[in-house]
Amino acid sequence: MTDQRAASRSVPETAAELRRAVTRQFGRSLHIRTLDTGSCAACEQEIRLLAAPHYDLHRLGFFFTPAPRHADLLMVTGPMVRAFDIAARKTYEAMPGPKLVVATGACALGGVYQPDAFTHGGVGETLPVDVWIPGCPPSPLALLQGLLVAVGRLAEKVQDLSFIQNGTPR
Amino acid sequence: MTLWFLRGLRRGVVTTRYPARPDASAAALPTPPAFRPEALTRALADRLAAACPSRALARDGDALVFDVGACTACGRCLAEAPGAATSSGEFELAATLPAHLVKRIPLLAGGGAAAPATEGGSP
Repeated sequence: MTDQRAASRSVPETAAELRRAVTRQFGRSLHIRTLDTGSCAACEQEIRLLAAPHYDLHRLGFFFTPAPRHADLLMVTGPMVRAFDIAARKTYEAMPGPKLVVATGACALGGVYQPDAFTHGGVGETLPVDVWIPGCPPSPLALLQGLLVAVGRLAEKVQDLSFIQNGTPR
Repeated sequence: MTLWFLRGLRRGVVTTRYPARPDASAAALPTPPAFRPEALTRALADRLAAACPSRALARDGDALVFDVGACTACGRCLAEAPGAATSSGEFELAATLPAHLVKRIPLLAGGGAAAPATEGGSP
């Protein structure tokens, strides 16, 4: 694409083009590196279950890899303890581009810990997060939906939810 | 375990069909609360915010601000206000922006009788 064509596009058009490119590139095969930045391991437990027969994320073209150099997606759990700053940065920089970052669980989303001397209280200020998956821990189904949102195979749903219930009083 | 194994043999497959079809186990998951605005007073919103251990709930004027990302689905708000909060049943909560996870719930029941002195005193 020439610079002129790029300049004539609006931001939503560019975002849609980027989304299509991500789906094209990652839609069928994506390798995941998990990064524990001080979580209680409940999120890891649920992430491990993704590879079990019931959820079987390999059928969807997702694979886990222990090597950041082989990874397309970084799945970060925990509140990002400050002792992990250098390791987190090195892991992110070791991944080849284009790359995605998914913040997983309430700690990573800033819910459980306040920023203090020991922790950032969330992943957002350290790494450029693409998708946020709430839950404590997020169930394997929620993780699957988050991964599919990350690669553009499912639309984000929570944006349109109001969490208002208009039922009759019980 | 045995039943699960035999059922798997009979059906031939144990893997969930999600996302093509909904998964039956999703109904049993702990999910963030949904609120009834007409049952929420300012005093009740303050009580809910105080009861929330992960600071997912806060009151901002006449609205209850609910950060779904911070919610751990612990159920303390459901126990605090059974008539105003129920389990939402939503588990597909992935967001591309953290702002998409912050919900404002209006407090339609007004100031409420529980705290007339503090709420009525301020203009």
